[in-house]
Amino acid sequence: MEQIIANGLYLGAQYALIALGLTLIFSLMNVLNFAHGQMYVLGGFVTYTFVAQLKLPFIVGLLASAVVLAVVGALVEKFLFRPVIRKSRREEGTMLLAAGIAFFLDAVILLVFGEKQRGVPKIVNGVFNWDFRLVMPYDRILIGVLAIAAIVGFILYMQYSRTGRAMRALAQDRVAAQLMGVDVDRYSMIGFALGAMLAGVVGGLLVTITGINLGMGGPTSIKAFMMIMIGGAGVISGAIAGGFILGMMESIGLSVLAAYGDITYLVIFASLMVFLAFRPQGLMGKPWG
Amino acid sequence: MNAQRLLGIAGFLLAVFVLVPWGIAASGRWDFYYTLTSVALLSIGAAGVWLTFYIGRINIGQGAYALMGGYVSAVLITKAGFSFWATLPLAGLFCAVISVLIGLPILRLRGVYFAMVTLVLTEVTRLTALALPVTNGAKGITSIPLPSELSVFGLTIIPDFATMQNPKLAFYLLAATLMVLGYAALWRIVNSRLGHLCRSLQQNEELASSIGVNTAYLRVLAYAISSFFGGISGAVFVAISQSIYPSSFVVTDSINFMLYCFLGGLGYVFGPMLGTLLLYFGWDLLSVAKQYQLLIYSSAMIALMLAVPNGILSLLDRKGGQK
Amino acid sequence: MKRRSFLTSTVLSAVASIAFSSVAFAENPVLKIGFVGVTSGPAAAWGTSNQRSMETRAAWINETGGVTIGDTTYDVEIVSFDDQKDPKRAIAGMEKMAQEGIHYVVGPNVDDGAAAVRPVAEQNGIMYFPYAFPKELYTAPASNAILGMVASYQSGPAIYKYLMDNNGVKKVAFVAANESDPLSQRDSGSAAAKALGLEVVSDSVTYQVDTTDFTPVLLPVLQTQPDLLVLSGVAPAAAPQLIRSARELGYTGLISTETAQDAGVLMEGAGELANGFISVGGASTPELASDTMREFVDRYTKMFGEYNDESNTKVYALEYILETLKANPAGIADVEAFKTTMDGFEAPNPYMVGDAKLKYVGMTSFGQKRQVSVPLVVNTFKDGAFETLFVAQVD
Repeated sequence: MEQIIANGLYLGAQYALIALGLTLIFSLMNVLNFAHGQMYVLGGFVTYTFVAQLKLPFIVGLLASAVVLAVVGALVEKFLFRPVIRKSRREEGTMLLAAGIAFFLDAVILLVFGEKQRGVPKIVNGVFNWDFRLVMPYDRILIGVLAIAAIVGFILYMQYSRTGRAMRALAQDRVAAQLMGVDVDRYSMIGFALGAMLAGVVGGLLVTITGINLGMGGPTSIKAFMMIMIGGAGVISGAIAGGFILGMMESIGLSVLAAYGDITYLVIFASLMVFLAFRPQGLMGKPWG
Repeated sequence: MNAQRLLGIAGFLLAVFVLVPWGIAASGRWDFYYTLTSVALLSIGAAGVWLTFYIGRINIGQGAYALMGGYVSAVLITKAGFSFWATLPLAGLFCAVISVLIGLPILRLRGVYFAMVTLVLTEVTRLTALALPVTNGAKGITSIPLPSELSVFGLTIIPDFATMQNPKLAFYLLAATLMVLGYAALWRIVNSRLGHLCRSLQQNEELASSIGVNTAYLRVLAYAISSFFGGISGAVFVAISQSIYPSSFVVTDSINFMLYCFLGGLGYVFGPMLGTLLLYFGWDLLSVAKQYQLLIYSSAMIALMLAVPNGILSLLDRKGGQK
Repeated sequence: MKRRSFLTSTVLSAVASIAFSSVAFAENPVLKIGFVGVTSGPAAAWGTSNQRSMETRAAWINETGGVTIGDTTYDVEIVSFDDQKDPKRAIAGMEKMAQEGIHYVVGPNVDDGAAAVRPVAEQNGIMYFPYAFPKELYTAPASNAILGMVASYQSGPAIYKYLMDNNGVKKVAFVAANESDPLSQRDSGSAAAKALGLEVVSDSVTYQVDTTDFTPVLLPVLQTQPDLLVLSGVAPAAAPQLIRSARELGYTGLISTETAQDAGVLMEGAGELANGFISVGGASTPELASDTMREFVDRYTKMFGEYNDESNTKVYALEYILETLKANPAGIADVEAFKTTMDGFEAPNPYMVGDAKLKYVGMTSFGQKRQVSVPLVVNTFKDGAFETLFVAQVD
């Protein structure tokens, strides 16, 4: 039992961090960023390059991932999303663009980093073992703690910094924020950069445990979509809740339904659909997001 | 105006049924038959997605219905001895019925929520196909016979595909016919009272409902028609590949169906057809680029989106506006 | 506007450069061999190692003057098509091969693709070498597919038997991704284990291909305390993570798989935790590899920067095509001639030391010779490299 909860918490922490970036971008610009998973993969490969190939300390790699992805995010917003949003008649129009960017990043990652699975050496050795009731490798604990720290840091930043407040105002009511003198273009760009950076940071953190390969992008995006649906799209607390709930569902589902094997994920996904049918706006979302 | 439209339709039919086969015979590019068959079939599925866009819903679940339709056809042919021609409408109807059951609760959702639920639906369908005994699970259904003879009162309408010299051409004609019928139906719907009501849903659902439009009924009806199209396209694909696996239609296909609609233009009935042609055919042509194929493909997609964010056919109305 | 024209010109110049570079300066007539498989997206690793093996071998052959079949010396050209792991695309790829007049195609890499291209291949007289295991592809009335590797239902029993005899394995557990190929391999593996008299303690646990944490997946499996944990049809990307999670959960038994793995990937992903991991390899263990194999690895590494151990198996398909054509040049235009030659075909295996032979097998599994004979090499992983555990033959 302890093990199942610990697994769920660890999964939840990493999921929540992935979902945060996606939900931030969605709340600011109403863009469902299909390329979020690819940004996560890119972050993983950047850390891999710095740590495994250039032999630099892990923290340097992690920072590099954050910086590279923030720059990528800012550029993508300024040169791609902004003009398209301005000109497109329906707001869903950005979906094709987002998918195009996802394919583009996939292609770049394949050409630059290759098709193989990559990983970096463990950053901490050893396994925490409480009588086999709770087994958790130290590096997992460390990554879990770092992920939670990043989440807390992000919340504080959004809550108390000037930029954070501006972004929240923007998310709440774009027009009102604009009238109040918030530079919409500037904060949209910062928001997108921040969202992409979060994806990069998760990639950098997880490359030490799960490694990275170019195939992880698409499925990661879809998982992140599910989390923000559970919690409510565009709501930060919802993304965190969604991440932890999905993590717990997987952890518990895999243990309880192990005997029925093949249907574990069928049950998880189907119950998600039922849940949304009853509560269309997720746990904390605005109705009709 | 009417004569012009008739001329346009005649030109289109001429191109599809005469010029394409003639062009292929002249150039000897027989492989284009399959590519164009795929385009025709995928554009039928995309037409369904377009109809859900028309009522203001982003549908990323068409792959689910294509897979269902494929399995219905495959199971009926291999296990119940049905003829392919009988399974084709049944596949569509099965999907329509299922989509009513699924649609009733989920069509209350809007925006990204509906989009995401349909995306999850694709995955649920794949996992269901893996788990059910009737679908033969992971092993799929293989060695499905080609479409047999279709005859009415002993009169052969369509000969047995297995005895044909050129089944490729037959499949192309079948797919093209279905596509023409599908788009004719779609065009008819859009330009009917039903279409006007759908448009009112797209613009403002509350308003529509307040003036007495039965929104729930309309939504489910549009979604059922959309899924019918998806089922048909899946069933024909199964006849071509003579096999089906749970992975025959996956999330990627669902996303592609949606992208075809976006690229062609959401404001035009024929948008999805054009979008399918460009994206699917484009990928095939780019295979000469080897490892840069995906890079060029995605760059072109982004460039197109920057140039015409409302879909390619929106170029038409810009011209119209200037007049 | 500037940006748009920049984009257009970039795309145009890229297209142009590719178009020009593909015009090869061939003095010999060209023999085209096809490849239809997945070289982009999540499963890119499978097809890429395949395609690169073929490209490497073709470049090598052309550099040394080409391949002589009958009275003509040909340069080999590889025509490849990325099917994105989509069976519908795979059909388009096979059509393209037919269009190019190609009769010998390597791939596709997965079950659904291999089944989907069958009608096209049979209609157009194409022999194809899938890396997929469904038996109906290789048993009559199908006759155009040739299995390019050792199937899991052939290697699995051999591995279990060996481990029963040598390591006293009694209880075995299976875990697989919830996709067609791994699940089929799990089912056949589980059946084989039962037939050998092993106790199968768990064969129902599955995972999504995108799993990032395997601890919850493995927890219920390891609670059944197996002596051997089989990772059925495991993708190279997932193998190190599964191994690592199992070991970190305190599992001390054996771990094996019936698919080929890459030593570098295992080392990076699981480090020394992967020691003792049993997988199926090709023929490049130091004891077995001939000079030709070593040169192939060198050339591959030079051409693409990094070798992939999966290519040990994938080097063979092209060699079989060319050698069989040498034995009967009529096969170049007529696959029926190729098929008749296959039955009695035998040639020295250049990639193995000793007097190993290239020949077609598969009588036991398929009732006809529709499988290439590659040595069934079972490896264990030790400190970043594979060591040979045992070698067997499939008939």
